[in-house]
Amino acid sequence: MFTKWNLLLDSIADGILMLDKDGYITYCNPMVTHITGYEQHQLLNQSFSKLNDEEADSIKTEYVLNMAFKTGRFVSEGWKSQKEHGRFWGQAILAPMFDDAREFQGYSCVLRDNNEKKKEEISLRQSEERYRLMVEGVKDYSIFMLDTEGHIVTWNDGGRYIQGYSAGEITGKHFSVFYTSDDLASKKPEMELRIARESGMYQEEGWRVKKNGSVFWASIVLTALYNEHNALIGFSKVTRDLSERQRNAESLRESEERYRSIVEQVSDYGIFMMDEKGRIVSWNEGAKRIKGYDAQEIIGKYFSIFYQEEDILNGKPAYELTVARAVGKYEEEGWRLRKDGERFWANIVITAIYNTDKNLIGFSKVTRDLTERKKTEQALKESYQSSRQLARELTATNAELSAANQELEQFTSIVSHDLQEPVRTLKSFLQLMNMKLDQGKFQDLKTYLEKSINAANRMKDLIANLLDYSQISKNELVKEKISVTNLIDHALQNLKGSIDASDARITVAIDPAIRDIEADRIQLVQLLQNLLSNALKYTDDKVPQITIRCKAENGYVKFEVADNGIGIEHHDLSKVFDVFRRLHTVKDYPGTGMGLAISKKVVERHQGQIWLESEPGQGTTFYFTIRES
Amino acid sequence: MRKYRILIVENDEDELFFMKESFNESGLFDIIGDVKNGNTLFEWLSGKPAEALPDLILSDLNMPGKNGYDILAEIRENEHYAHIPVVITSTSSIKSVMEKCLQMGASDYLVKPESFIDYSSYAKDLYYRCSLKVPD
Repeated sequence: MFTKWNLLLDSIADGILMLDKDGYITYCNPMVTHITGYEQHQLLNQSFSKLNDEEADSIKTEYVLNMAFKTGRFVSEGWKSQKEHGRFWGQAILAPMFDDAREFQGYSCVLRDNNEKKKEEISLRQSEERYRLMVEGVKDYSIFMLDTEGHIVTWNDGGRYIQGYSAGEITGKHFSVFYTSDDLASKKPEMELRIARESGMYQEEGWRVKKNGSVFWASIVLTALYNEHNALIGFSKVTRDLSERQRNAESLRESEERYRSIVEQVSDYGIFMMDEKGRIVSWNEGAKRIKGYDAQEIIGKYFSIFYQEEDILNGKPAYELTVARAVGKYEEEGWRLRKDGERFWANIVITAIYNTDKNLIGFSKVTRDLTERKKTEQALKESYQSSRQLARELTATNAELSAANQELEQFTSIVSHDLQEPVRTLKSFLQLMNMKLDQGKFQDLKTYLEKSINAANRMKDLIANLLDYSQISKNELVKEKISVTNLIDHALQNLKGSIDASDARITVAIDPAIRDIEADRIQLVQLLQNLLSNALKYTDDKVPQITIRCKAENGYVKFEVADNGIGIEHHDLSKVFDVFRRLHTVKDYPGTGMGLAISKKVVERHQGQIWLESEPGQGTTFYFTIRES
Repeated sequence: MRKYRILIVENDEDELFFMKESFNESGLFDIIGDVKNGNTLFEWLSGKPAEALPDLILSDLNMPGKNGYDILAEIRENEHYAHIPVVITSTSSIKSVMEKCLQMGASDYLVKPESFIDYSSYAKDLYYRCSLKVPD
């Protein structure tokens, strides 16, 4: 029998020990040696505490034994002593032993090596711990666990941040504390749990309540958690705050990102950043296009690389930064250099950039290439100038044309009238003579004949004058340098006959300071002759007194021909230069009415002016100006 | 048959000669005067009693001194003469010229005959027109 029990004990895969009433080892099977590494003799009569990791911990041993005695069975798990490896994770199951007389004899102990199992457990726990720490450390999301009923089991930093509770004050509470009274009335929390339970998940955005009573717009995900047996063990809940503060932070990040990419892609403007020293720290597409440098070759360089040597010698780059720092901004247009050394006309704006603490952190620089625009502007300006010039010329030509047209109209109307007059006269007298001849009345025939001849002569004169007039308008001016004295002599010489006949007194007064004039000699002589012959002609019985004066005035020579003749009525002054305009009848003052029209034409063709002053009965003074040579 | 008392304004003495010949011969007009232009016309009119004024003024258009237009403008502004009909006569048959004269107050516009000989029919025409214009 003994051997049979011995055989059983020796072969059991767990360590079996027997302790006396005081906890001293009285028996151990071979498995104990296998587990602990201690030989049987090393253990027998030793205290059970020898197997503890801390040998001296008899207090714990006494406690364990006491507990086993009181409760009938006690499991002690922990580090046990192992001879070779120092310690192992062991489990000791202790039970008190009573004999048949129910006398307490000591303890039985089953010892197991749980070392491997424990290692697994520990590593699992470590990994769980990592997740827990990670979850707990998340600040942007409130992540917590609910039990199956919806009570909060775990809590993280995000929860403290978003809902405002600490782990201590919220753990154990029902998650409905986060709901508004309306939601509570409609039993929304229960509904969410039910949906999560049934479909695995519940997701929504909605109003939730913080500890301080304020509400926030939340995005929540409620997930049902099942164990390996598919039994519901609770829920996880992830809450995100979508309210402004949260969203701002996010949208700021997004918008910064957006701006950065926009700026990088802008190609019409060179946009780059510089540090406070003027070193380039960012570079965009436009800068690359305008200046020719790639980002990697330019970043880190001083922006003075874009300046011409003289600008650098003048300290211009540094000056620009100084101005930007002092007033916030520096703007100018000027020449800058490309990578290939070519110049371009740039508009630049340097802006000082400050951080939120108002410290200068650098500068932004925006460069525009205005070369093309400048060229276009210049071309436009030139074309504008030339078209303006053209417009001016056209306007002048137009005015000349319309004046010429008006003159022509007047001319034809007058010519048709005035030329018809002698023709009608001639024809009428011829018819009259014919009539008289038929009637045999001859006494007035000679008078009619003379009148006919007069009419024919008048017509001849008219035609000759018209020709003169049109020649003056049409022919090229043959300009030459003419001495004024010489010119006046020439005109007076031509009129010598008339002057002698009228016994006129001619006075000539020429300012010695005047220079020669540049003019067509023939036309100028005719002009003077016309004025002089008018002065001789339009007199009453007085002896003609004519004064010719010449003065230099503003680069012109002003001629003056003054007479003591009959004068011109004031209301007729404007008519005197008209073609065929006669202020007096042919009989009183013969003439074709072309003299002054021709004179005016001559002066105009020489870009001069002609005008007159007159008093009826006292005399007339004609003035005209011709440019000095 | 009533004879109209006419005053002629004409600068061309030959033309005037033929006009007078024809008008006298026609017996339709009583030529109470002739002047060379507007200037002498107003001198002639000046100070005349109402009964000495003409029934009609026949005036050339283009003349040295005050021409036909000047006469039209000035006569309409004078209360003593404003009632006297002024007939403008000219060799011009240009429509715009005729219209301008009528617009300025001419009672009529007669184109001068091609030859002085034709003044006899001109005189009849003028007389007929006057019978419509001149008050009885």
